[in-house]
Amino acid sequence: MTDTHSNPLVEEAREGLRQFPPALAQEFEAALDAVVPVLEPDELAQWLRDGLDIARHSLRSWEASSEYFRASGPVLEQITYDRMREWCAVGIELMETSPALSGALFRASPAVLPHLSVPQANDWAAQGKSLYKGTWKSGSLSAQYFDVSPQILPHLPLSQMRLLVDLIDSLASHSYELASACLGMAPGVLSQLDRSDRAPFLEFGGIVAHTAWVDARVYFERGPGALRQVSEEQRPRYLSLAGQVAMQVGRLGHPYFIEAAQAFSEVDKDIHEGLLELAEQLSQHSGDAAMEFIKSSPRVAQRLGIDDIARWQEFGLNILQQSRDGGEAFFRLESARGEEVMEALSSRVDLDRVSELIRMYCKALTGVDVGVKASEELTAKGVGWVDESSPTTEGTTIYLPENVERYPTKDENFAVYKVFATHQAGRLEFGSFEYQSEINPKLFPGDQNGTRNGHGGSSGNGVAPAVVEAEEGEIHTDMERFFDQFGDRRLAHDLFTIVEDTRIDTIVKREYAGVRRAFSRLQQAAIDRRRPVEDMPARQAMVENLLRASLDEIGRIRWPNELAEEMRAPLRILNRIRQDGATVQDSAAATALLYEWLSQIPNVELDTEDWSDFEQEMSGDPDSGEDSDMMPGSGSSGLEESFMPFMPGSEEQPYDSPDPVDFRGDFKPELVQLLMKLKGETGTGDAPPIPLTKEQLQELLEKSVEISINELMDMDLAESSGMFLDNLLKEVNQIQGERQEGQQAMGDDSTGAEDGEELPVEAASFYYDEWDFRAADYKPRWCRVQEQRGESGTASYYAETLHEHTQLVQETRKQFEMLRPEMFRKMKRLTDGEDYDLDAVIEWYTEKIAGGASETKLFYRRNKVERDVAVAFLLDVSASTDEEIQKHHDQRQDDQFDDDPRKYLSWWAQRRAEAARHPGKRIIDLEKEATVLLIEALETIGDKYGVYGFSGYGRDNVEFFVYKDMDEPFGDRIKERIDKIAPVRSTRMGPAIRHCIWKLQNTDAKVKILMLLSDGRPQDHGYGRDRTEKEYAIHDTKMALTEARREGMVPFALTVDRAGHDYLKQMCQDMAYEVVADIESLPRRLPALYRRLTG
Amino acid sequence: MTTATDPITEYRSWAVEEFRAEEEPYYVPVSDEVEVFEAAWNNKIPVLLKGPTGCGKTRFVEYMAYHLNRPLAVVRDGKAEVESESNLPLVTVACHEDLTASDLVGRYLLEGNETVWIDGPLTRAVKAGAICYLDEVVEARKDTTVLIHPLTDHRRILPVEKKSQLLQARDGFLLVISFNPGYQSALKDLKQSTRQRFVAVEFDYPPRETEAEIVQHEAECSYEVALNLAKMAEKIRNLREHGLAEGASTRLLIYAGRMIAAGVSPRRACQVAIVWPLTDDGEVQRSIEEVVSSIFED
Repeated sequence: MTDTHSNPLVEEAREGLRQFPPALAQEFEAALDAVVPVLEPDELAQWLRDGLDIARHSLRSWEASSEYFRASGPVLEQITYDRMREWCAVGIELMETSPALSGALFRASPAVLPHLSVPQANDWAAQGKSLYKGTWKSGSLSAQYFDVSPQILPHLPLSQMRLLVDLIDSLASHSYELASACLGMAPGVLSQLDRSDRAPFLEFGGIVAHTAWVDARVYFERGPGALRQVSEEQRPRYLSLAGQVAMQVGRLGHPYFIEAAQAFSEVDKDIHEGLLELAEQLSQHSGDAAMEFIKSSPRVAQRLGIDDIARWQEFGLNILQQSRDGGEAFFRLESARGEEVMEALSSRVDLDRVSELIRMYCKALTGVDVGVKASEELTAKGVGWVDESSPTTEGTTIYLPENVERYPTKDENFAVYKVFATHQAGRLEFGSFEYQSEINPKLFPGDQNGTRNGHGGSSGNGVAPAVVEAEEGEIHTDMERFFDQFGDRRLAHDLFTIVEDTRIDTIVKREYAGVRRAFSRLQQAAIDRRRPVEDMPARQAMVENLLRASLDEIGRIRWPNELAEEMRAPLRILNRIRQDGATVQDSAAATALLYEWLSQIPNVELDTEDWSDFEQEMSGDPDSGEDSDMMPGSGSSGLEESFMPFMPGSEEQPYDSPDPVDFRGDFKPELVQLLMKLKGETGTGDAPPIPLTKEQLQELLEKSVEISINELMDMDLAESSGMFLDNLLKEVNQIQGERQEGQQAMGDDSTGAEDGEELPVEAASFYYDEWDFRAADYKPRWCRVQEQRGESGTASYYAETLHEHTQLVQETRKQFEMLRPEMFRKMKRLTDGEDYDLDAVIEWYTEKIAGGASETKLFYRRNKVERDVAVAFLLDVSASTDEEIQKHHDQRQDDQFDDDPRKYLSWWAQRRAEAARHPGKRIIDLEKEATVLLIEALETIGDKYGVYGFSGYGRDNVEFFVYKDMDEPFGDRIKERIDKIAPVRSTRMGPAIRHCIWKLQNTDAKVKILMLLSDGRPQDHGYGRDRTEKEYAIHDTKMALTEARREGMVPFALTVDRAGHDYLKQMCQDMAYEVVADIESLPRRLPALYRRLTG
Repeated sequence: MTTATDPITEYRSWAVEEFRAEEEPYYVPVSDEVEVFEAAWNNKIPVLLKGPTGCGKTRFVEYMAYHLNRPLAVVRDGKAEVESESNLPLVTVACHEDLTASDLVGRYLLEGNETVWIDGPLTRAVKAGAICYLDEVVEARKDTTVLIHPLTDHRRILPVEKKSQLLQARDGFLLVISFNPGYQSALKDLKQSTRQRFVAVEFDYPPRETEAEIVQHEAECSYEVALNLAKMAEKIRNLREHGLAEGASTRLLIYAGRMIAAGVSPRRACQVAIVWPLTDDGEVQRSIEEVVSSIFED
């Protein structure tokens, strides 16, 4: 084809290109090779002309020309020259705007063409062009558009390209860097999305770009991932909702999108559609509410089905329509009403809502102070219990699963709790843990308290021989001694559990007829879940059958006919334990008998098809059997191998415990006895707790089957057993610690003992609601108040303060003493009294003269009113009280130095030294002094009082210091604590006031006063929408004060903040308050105020 | 004579000091309280009855008054006439916080143009030689101790200040006071100087079987119901000082028993006769109701 290359037109073109950089010529030559074979001569001429025109168009247009040449070959492979001209016309037109864009267009052309038709070129180019604003940056963005188009167009039809371009364009108006970055990411992002999601994704992106452009990058990065959490079909719908919301809420739109999507991943995909529909309804009213609703949905869905969620939403929607804030708080789950509605709709019963109820119920049944806690708390201690969902007890506390959601109504689910609790309480009430070796059973007189030697049975059938006596090792508990008799501890333990649970269930049903129905229902449910007996080896099947019998389901026993006789005796034994008067001793005896029977049954597979229900006269009279019947071997049949339908040649199988029965829960008598012993609570005597050595415990641990050590953690045995021991000792020590603490506290009360160190007290936690005035509702359990005793300093501070204010102390005391005499209130118009009521007498006499006197109530009497006042004194010890009180003359001194730095320095040094010698008084110091004076006064008058301080940071951590509790007698210890009153952190008044209310509620007095002394407005982290908002805190505080009043208390707020009037007026409204303008007068003012308040 | 039957309403009225039980009050002694009381009466030692409300203190006093015989005296126009041998009259005063000394002793009242002296219940009892039973004595105002003290020591004298009189108590007069150490606040404790003038009999709720017997008799219900009620009471009393100021009294059990005997369902009967009277605390109410529903099937 070289001849064509020498075509004069070509030569001419070459000539023309010489004025341009050689690179263009190279491109031209390369293109020529590709073009010449496919073009007609006139087409070639046109092509050459176009190329030159482009190159000559303007200064840098040769670059575009170069792209033109380079693209020509590949383009012509796809379309005809005519079409190409049409296509290129668009590019040439773009030259007018920017040659660089034109170049980019040509460059992208070959790769774009498979996705676009030629007529679309215009549209495609126009979109790119729209990004160009005549600046260098916009030019490069626009060029980037053409560059990435080939990667985008496979994922996005040109019709939707507009969305992306608009988005980018919108970002570009803020930041070209961001726009360019997003454009660069676009192909990757779009490829991750489903086809149908792409347009909605970009639409929402457009809104984000408008409302919160900075989030755009994050949206591109995380959006597709977030979206995948939403169920496939719902994604476009979700994006459109997110868009709607974003238009309402602005900058929050994108975070909402991400968080709500996260929430979707936590709920069942099936309800996504339902949730979205509900959210869409909400978005009509409040975008926040809609998204908060979705965010809360995982928690809500845990408790409610979708239909109930709809009902819950409807309720919230009603609130939303009345109050936006109220509705939003509702859906944020920050409103008491929201919780209540959920609680009402949900059939689930949560332990924390009923634990107090159950605790009292159990206390009533057992008569001892049992605790009720979640099973998790016990398993977390790692002292041998591992099942978090089953009820159990360790002797002092009843542990129950965290919630019950078994049946469709609350009542039924509560009944489940009740059965759980009643069974566990039954263990305590009817002495499951009180087994003692020395006591003989009543119902099994032939048997010596279940203790016999040689329960091993013949070794031939696989039961390990009994350990006659634990060698060397000491026996620690009676239960341990009991189990030691048996070769197979696990079997013995399982049998004892069955027997003892039978006994407890029987007594419970007899004593508490009212729970029978619920009991039977759970028994029925338990039996329905049993695994088939037929698959079990013989001994295991027998244990399983006993367990079924223990559930009152004789009819559900399945057992080979040939062996009917072998089953009958054990059942009779079990039945005997149901008699009135059976004790744990009888259970032990029955266990021993059963063990003997069971150990005669080899644990091999049964070779029989002849399984039958075990119907018999059994259930009738438990006494019918002779005692001798209960002894294996001595009865009618005797076990002869030949009769046995055992699988020939089948091997002894390892014995597995039967599946646990849920409502009976874990039963660990040996461990409980050990724990009680360690805690020194042996029922048998007052022997002090005997500390066990680690080695002894270790031995015990290896022996007992109750401690599921391998389940504790995936550690080797030595390590995990070591940990178990640590936990056990910790648990025991903790309880002993508590006891000592209790004794100590009692000592304080009775003697006011001043010696001895106070034990550090773990802060006790209390939860309080907080008032959200916007939602006009409480946020449930919002604040945690940690009560702790104030630290102790030295008592001398108290005396010094009194000394410093000798005069004032005397004055105050005198004034208070005047309050002291019992006050009298005159009651008039009595038929009899101390003296005549003169007015009444005159009236009576006048009437008498007039002739009609009938009123004979002429006396008055003074009613003694005893002073019965309790005051809780609440000090603000926030950090701001650390401020020094500026003395007035300081200001003047400051001005004396003019500009002489040396003078100033020497003054400053002098002042520092002085300050170190006599530190200026801080607000807190005055609070302390005032407190001292008030205490002194209160002691003369004999009112009950408590002195508390509060501070903290955040709602989780409201610190509440007790300097003197209501019922604590005044003494050196209190003085020491007052010395240590020190500024701490923020001022969250509401919960502190609520805690004070609680304190006052527990105090018996006719007049109760809550006095709040602060140095400024309430404020705390999260106490309001942001740091600067004051409204919220003030409203909450006001509500707390109102609550106090509702409780019949007299709240009184006192502040030393001169600007206090504005917020106190709002906080207290019609309640009394005072602003102490001159803070230094506080020590004088406070007692005076108190006197006025109670006088 | 002593009993007047009103022809219209058929109610009966007595002068305070003339009231006496005609039928033997039902009382089941729990320990030796009967012997103790009798000995005290014989020796003119006043008696202090301690114990929770509704455990039978008042019934016990009635029972003793019925059984302690002495010549029956009727005070008429200031003169005592011996008429027959009978049981002791019983004057019961429920004390309250506004009960003053003159409420007990007596007062002048205006009647037309003159003042008339009216004897108070204590004075009447002193004159008649009755048992004067001051129920919940700590509730009364402190000035009543002025009266109690001279009456309870060897003097057995009642000062009637307004008439400037001293009354010597008649034979048979015995002051019995009751108080419930449980729920009174520390302020309302009985003073040592008062307490130490009495022999004290401590009462508590009777054991389960005895209580069941009492409930069965008084409520006229079946023994089974009575036993269940007694069992329930035992459980509820476990909650004392745990949200409950006082345990369920025998009296309440009897009410419940009567309701059941009258056809109210046991659970409902216990609710109205026991749970609701006992406490207003919702949580405690529910706890007790759970106990009730555990014991009674419907």
